[in-house]
Amino acid sequence: MKKITREDLDKIAAKPVSPAVNYIRVGMSTCGIAAGADEVLATLIEEAKKRNIRIDIKKCGCVGMCFAEPLVEVAVEGLPPVIYGKVNKEIAAKIMEKHVAGKILVNEYIFDLKVKE
Amino acid sequence: MYNKTILIKDTNINAEDRTKNYYSLVLNSLREFNLHNEVQVVRAADIGVYNHGVVIKILPDVIYQEVKETDIPRIVEATVKADKVLDDLVLKKEPKQQRIVLRNCGKIDPESLEEYLAAGGYQALKKVIFEMNPEKVLEEMKKSGLRGRGGAGYPTWMKWKFTRAVPADQKFVICNADEGDPGAYMDRSVLEGDPHSVLEGLMISAYTIGASKGYFYIRAEYPLAVERVKIALAQAYDAGLLGKNILGSEFSFDIDIRLGAGAFVCGEETALIASIEGKRGTPRPRPPYPSVKGLWNKPTAINNVETLANISPIIVRGGDWFASIGTATSKGTKVFAVTGKVKNSGLVEVPMGITIREIVFDICGGTISGKALKAIQTGGPSGGVIPAEFLDTPVDYENLQKLGSIMGSGGMIVMDEDDCLVDIAKFYLGFCVEESCGKCAPCRIGGYQMLQILNRITEGKGKLEDLAQLKRISFAMQKASLCGLGQTAANPVISTTRYFDYEYKEHILEKKCRSGKCSHLANYTIIQERCKKCGMCQKNCPAGAIPGSREEGYLIKQEKCVKCGQCFEVCKFKAIKKE
Ligand SMILES: Cc1cc2nc3c(=O)[nH]c(=O)nc-3n(C[C@H](O)[C@H](O)[C@H](O)COP(=O)(O)O)c2cc1C
Ligand code: SF4
Ligand code: SF4
Repeated sequence: MKKITREDLDKIAAKPVSPAVNYIRVGMSTCGIAAGADEVLATLIEEAKKRNIRIDIKKCGCVGMCFAEPLVEVAVEGLPPVIYGKVNKEIAAKIMEKHVAGKILVNEYIFDLKVKE
Repeated sequence: MYNKTILIKDTNINAEDRTKNYYSLVLNSLREFNLHNEVQVVRAADIGVYNHGVVIKILPDVIYQEVKETDIPRIVEATVKADKVLDDLVLKKEPKQQRIVLRNCGKIDPESLEEYLAAGGYQALKKVIFEMNPEKVLEEMKKSGLRGRGGAGYPTWMKWKFTRAVPADQKFVICNADEGDPGAYMDRSVLEGDPHSVLEGLMISAYTIGASKGYFYIRAEYPLAVERVKIALAQAYDAGLLGKNILGSEFSFDIDIRLGAGAFVCGEETALIASIEGKRGTPRPRPPYPSVKGLWNKPTAINNVETLANISPIIVRGGDWFASIGTATSKGTKVFAVTGKVKNSGLVEVPMGITIREIVFDICGGTISGKALKAIQTGGPSGGVIPAEFLDTPVDYENLQKLGSIMGSGGMIVMDEDDCLVDIAKFYLGFCVEESCGKCAPCRIGGYQMLQILNRITEGKGKLEDLAQLKRISFAMQKASLCGLGQTAANPVISTTRYFDYEYKEHILEKKCRSGKCSHLANYTIIQERCKKCGMCQKNCPAGAIPGSREEGYLIKQEKCVKCGQCFEVCKFKAIKKE
């Protein structure tokens, strides 16, 4: 990686990054992995490939809702970003099929978290 | 495509779930208003509100509580169709959680420097190097009122100021990531979810005190945290954020990782320093404090992970901003790991001054069993219990101390009627006895003696004099132990005897454990109607107290029973009654 300069940091500060749309994040901390997040991540990647869906699938840390791991945050254009909890392989496939491809939220797995920044 | 989203959830846990019913009713109503192609309705698993009846949330932020079936048409007509809020139903809910430490956790890829930078990362570092000087940083830290999150709550700016003031050819900074309290995992989560934020905090502390070298002391049981810190360090070196002449400035700084072998006492600062020096991890008397004579006898500032994660936001947003959050003596937020008999266990970050009730009931949804909350435990083995009658106490360092507990590092264990407080005290004391390094007698011998007494009491062999004896030993340990482990090890016993004296006395005088936890105090009988005559209890009874056969069935001979509880544990058909 090229060295970061003071000017680079100035540039980032001057231009606030627009909130990304079209991404999926899987909680991959100890609590998530213990609950099976590895498998969920693999399923999401596989399902996206199978359906030819182009979406950024990334990992992230723990948002705190450890009781509901594995957690998957989905943000796609036209829908509010939501967090799904207690996701397994089947639900991961359903998220890809219904939510990402079909633009319909999946019932029974949304965990609504609100925090003040 | 839908342009509106409605979430529905019945939030009453102890009654029949009406979510599906309401879901159909809302769908029907939408159809009547011909909105069904524009609005989608979703059944949520958790809507972030508890015990407020059926909750309907119209995204992004209108929340209706205690919704009746008859309310549905007017909700659809007013709010869904015309964006008008119905004041009689609305739940005015400011989010109770506020995120400073966990600002990036769950939001950015912890293995990506780019994402940390995009989230405002290393702006604070730039600011201190180019726009501030160490004095200015200290001033800002003083204004912020930040106190150490590792347990003792010592003002961070003072620690930095003292370390800075000592003249020396070399100084060190250390990040304490030894997190040993049972039930606590806040620091692990921060390191796993946002390692650069801790790194940046450590760099700013080094810049401020004039240290050229830093260490991450992480417990080896946290392999993923170690891995992510390693990646972050490599990225920072690559990008010129660590090493010589950081960002082209005069400031040079290096960081190494040291792994802790998992002894609780190694989290104590002098033991931790000994451990990094390659010696046995045992505490030494203070003073001299590490700020004067620390690692290799050089001035050293040790800070906890969460403390360090607070630094960058304070620098960027200012000490006054930070001080505007919290109570008079305790500023900012605190991360708690809420576990035990709680519905939603996990990490919460809340402003200081929030009540325990808000944490347990409003954020975490109350007890998982729906039974009454009996007490909470904070501060781990150095802390104590807080009974239900103090649920409305605002959480800060002083208030928790007044109640006989401590803030500690942030473990919070919820207990309901099924928990025995004598048993809890025994658990924590047992932990300290196990973890005592043995260097000084009050801790080594006192802890062991107290544990023996607690064992006797839970086995129904306690005497009333034992309570006075527990007090005497506690006092000696507090006064004469060398380090915090021994000084605080008796706290769980002191606080449980303070609030739950009657439970100790029940164990001693009536040989009774009201929660049924203490197996030695229970009576075991076989519920014949449930017994499938499998013989498991007989096979496992160490006392030969269960005569009988697979044909005739089984019976427990009370005079032979040693009350070990084995039969209760092994019976698959729940045919053993424990009372
Ligand atoms: C037995 C014992 C264990 C400790 N364990 C930890 C620990 O795991 N993590 C931690 O940050 N501080 C721990 N401390 C507190 C440290 O000694 C020290 O006060 C702290 O790291 C200072 O950082 P702070 O000012 O940022 O809180 C422990 C103290 C004692 C007595
Ligand atoms: S108080 Fe306990 S842990 Fe601390 S030095 Fe003494 S024996 Fe060791
Ligand atoms: S409690 Fe223990 S000793 Fe008593 S009957 Fe059951 S297994 Fe036997």
